Amino acid sequence: MLKQTGLRFSLVILVGVLLGLVMSLGPGGHVAMSQNSNTLKVGLIVPASKTDHGWNEQAADSLLALEGPLNIKVEIAEQAGYGDISPIFLDFAKRGFDLVICHASGYQTICPELAKQTGVKTAVVENPHAVAKGLVSDYESQAQDVAYLAGVAAGLMTKTNIVGIVVSGEPPTWNFITTGFAEGLHSVNPNAHLLYTLIGAAAYEDVADAKRDTAAELAAGADVILGQGDGASFGMMQAISEKKKNSGKQVWFIDVIGDKRSLDTEGVLLTSVLFDFTKVFTPMIQDIRNGDFGKVYTLDMANGGMRLLDFPGSVPAKVRAAVAQAKANILSNKLQVPAISDPGQMHKLLKKLFPGSF
Amino acid sequence: MEVEAFITVLLSASLRASIPMLLAALGEAYNEKGGILNLGIEGMMLGGAFSGFAVALITGSVFLGFMTGVAVGAISGLIFAYLSVTLKLDQIITGIGFTILMVGLTGFLYRYFYGRNFPTLGVSKKTLAIPFLSKIPVIGPVLFDQHVVVYLTLLLIPLLHWILFHTTFGLNIRAVGETPGAADAAGVNVAQIRYLVAVFAGAMAGLGGAFLSLGNLSLFVPGETQGIGYIAIAMAMLGKWSPYRVFIGAWLFGMVESLAVGLQIIAVPVQPEFILMLPYVGVIVAMVFLARNARLPAKLMLPYERGER
Repeated sequence: MLKQTGLRFSLVILVGVLLGLVMSLGPGGHVAMSQNSNTLKVGLIVPASKTDHGWNEQAADSLLALEGPLNIKVEIAEQAGYGDISPIFLDFAKRGFDLVICHASGYQTICPELAKQTGVKTAVVENPHAVAKGLVSDYESQAQDVAYLAGVAAGLMTKTNIVGIVVSGEPPTWNFITTGFAEGLHSVNPNAHLLYTLIGAAAYEDVADAKRDTAAELAAGADVILGQGDGASFGMMQAISEKKKNSGKQVWFIDVIGDKRSLDTEGVLLTSVLFDFTKVFTPMIQDIRNGDFGKVYTLDMANGGMRLLDFPGSVPAKVRAAVAQAKANILSNKLQVPAISDPGQMHKLLKKLFPGSF
Repeated sequence: MEVEAFITVLLSASLRASIPMLLAALGEAYNEKGGILNLGIEGMMLGGAFSGFAVALITGSVFLGFMTGVAVGAISGLIFAYLSVTLKLDQIITGIGFTILMVGLTGFLYRYFYGRNFPTLGVSKKTLAIPFLSKIPVIGPVLFDQHVVVYLTLLLIPLLHWILFHTTFGLNIRAVGETPGAADAAGVNVAQIRYLVAVFAGAMAGLGGAFLSLGNLSLFVPGETQGIGYIAIAMAMLGKWSPYRVFIGAWLFGMVESLAVGLQIIAVPVQPEFILMLPYVGVIVAMVFLARNARLPAKLMLPYERGER
C-alpha cells in the first residue's frame, strides 16, 4: 500500500516537473547561447510579463532589437515579482553573463549589492547613488517632459473639466509622469479639478482593482484619465471603454509606456507616453566594450527615448498646435519641467497646483 | 461631482468586486467544515478565470464560459481530493503546489494561445436591471442592477446555510470535519463526503474566477486573481463557516476597499498608503471581534484512516 502510494506520489511529482519544463521552454521562453567570443551575454530581469504592452515589454523588446546590431545575446527572466530576485541574478552570474539589467525600481537596492558580491556588471533603474565605475550603471526615465505634453492635451480635451490620474504604485517613473502631467494640465487649464487614486503599493498587475478605481473616477465626473499601470492598464482601459459604450459620451484614456491602439475597440485612447529603451541600452552596452561602464543613462524626449503616441484624427488642430508649441519650448529649454521622483514631494506639488482638488 | 451617482458606483462596485471572493469563500467554508483546507483555491480560481474566458472567446457564449470555469474548478477540486483524501498528502503543501502550478499553467497557456494580442470579450452591458426595484435611489442600482451571477450568488447563500446546518447531509459534512471516526461508525462514507466538498469548493472557486474574467472584466491577464483566493480562505474562517457571516465579511471587505477609493477621490488629507491599509485593518479588527471564539473543525487537514483514534 505504502509502495503504491509512493509510486503515485512520484508520478505526480514527475508530471509536475515535466509541465514545468514544458512551460519554461515554451514559446514564451527566450533562451540564448553565446555565439562567439565578442558576443556579450545580457540578462534582463523583469518583475512581470514581458508582453504586458508596458514597462516590461518595452524593455524586453528594446533589448531584443539590439541583439543583431550590437552583437549581444539576450536572456529574459520574466515574472520575477517584487520579492527576492537573488536566485535569478546569481544564476545569471554563475553562467557568465556580462551584464544583468534589473528592470524595476524595486530592485534598485538589491542589485548593486549582488553586483558587488559577484562582480557582474549591473544596471539598475532610478538609483544614481548606486553607480560604481566599471560595475554598476543607472538608467533614468525622465518622463516628465513628455508627460507635460500629455497634460496639455488632457487640459484642452476635457469637457467636464475633471481629469483623473490612476496609478498602480508610486515608483519614481510614475511620479515623474504624474508631476509632468499635472504641470502640463495646469499650464493650459489651471481651474481643472484633478483626481488622484493609488490602487496599491505595487498593484502593477491588479486589473480588477484598476478597473474599479478608474470607474470610480469616471463616476466622479472625470472624462480624461491618465492611467499608469503596466498590466493593470488593461483594467483601466476596459472601465473607460465601458463608460463610453454605456453612456455614449466621449471619455479618453492616456496610457503610458506601450502602444495599445490595436486593443482600442471603442476609440478611447487619446495618446500614450511611449518609452524606447534602446536609447539607454545602446550606449550602456557600447560602454562595456569601451571600458567605460558605470554611468547614469537618461531616457528623455531630447534623445528620442520618449515621445507621445500620435493623436487620433478627432483631436482638434488647436490641441495639436498647443502640444507642438509646448514640445518646442521644452526642447529649446524655454520651459523646464520639474523632475520629482519622491511621492511626498509629488503630492505637495499636486496640492500646490490644484489647491481646490486636494 | 454628482455625489449620489458616485456613492452608487462605489457601493455597486463593492458588491460586484466581492462576488469572486464570496463564491470561493462559500465553497471553502464547506471544504473546511468537511475537514479539508484547500490553499489551492487561488489556483482553481485562476483556472476557472482562464478557461472560462478562453471558451467564451472561442464560442462567443458567456454561459458556456461560466460552465467551463465551473467544470475546470470541479476537476481541480477532484484532483485535490485525490491527492489529499486518497493519497493523504499534506494539504498545505498540495494546495500551495496546486496554486503555483495553475499560475504557471494559465500564464503559459495564455501566452501560447494569445501571445501579445490581449483579446477581450468586448464591451457590453453586463447587468440585468430588475424593473421598478432598480429605480430606487442608491439601493436600487446597487442591489437590483447587477450581473445575473450576483443574483444567483445572493440566492445561494440561504440555500447553502440551510444545507450545511439544517439537513442530514450538512450534518454529515460537519461530522466528517469534527469526528470522522464517529461519522464512519454511523455509516457515513467519510472519503465520499470529503470528495464531494472538495469538488464543490473547486467548482465554486472556478465560478468565482470565471465571474472575475467574464462578469467583471471581460478579459483575462495572467495572475488575474491577485490573491483573492487567499483572502477567501480568511473570509471562510472569519465567517466561522456560516454562509451568512461569510457574505457579510466579503461585502464588508469590498465596501471598505471601495471606501478607500472614495476617500482618495474626495482627497481626504491622509496618506494614500494609510487609506489602502483600511480593508486589511478592517479584516483584523473583524477577526478580533467576530472570530475570536472560532474553533477550527477538529480534524481539519488531518487525513482519515479507519480504525485510527
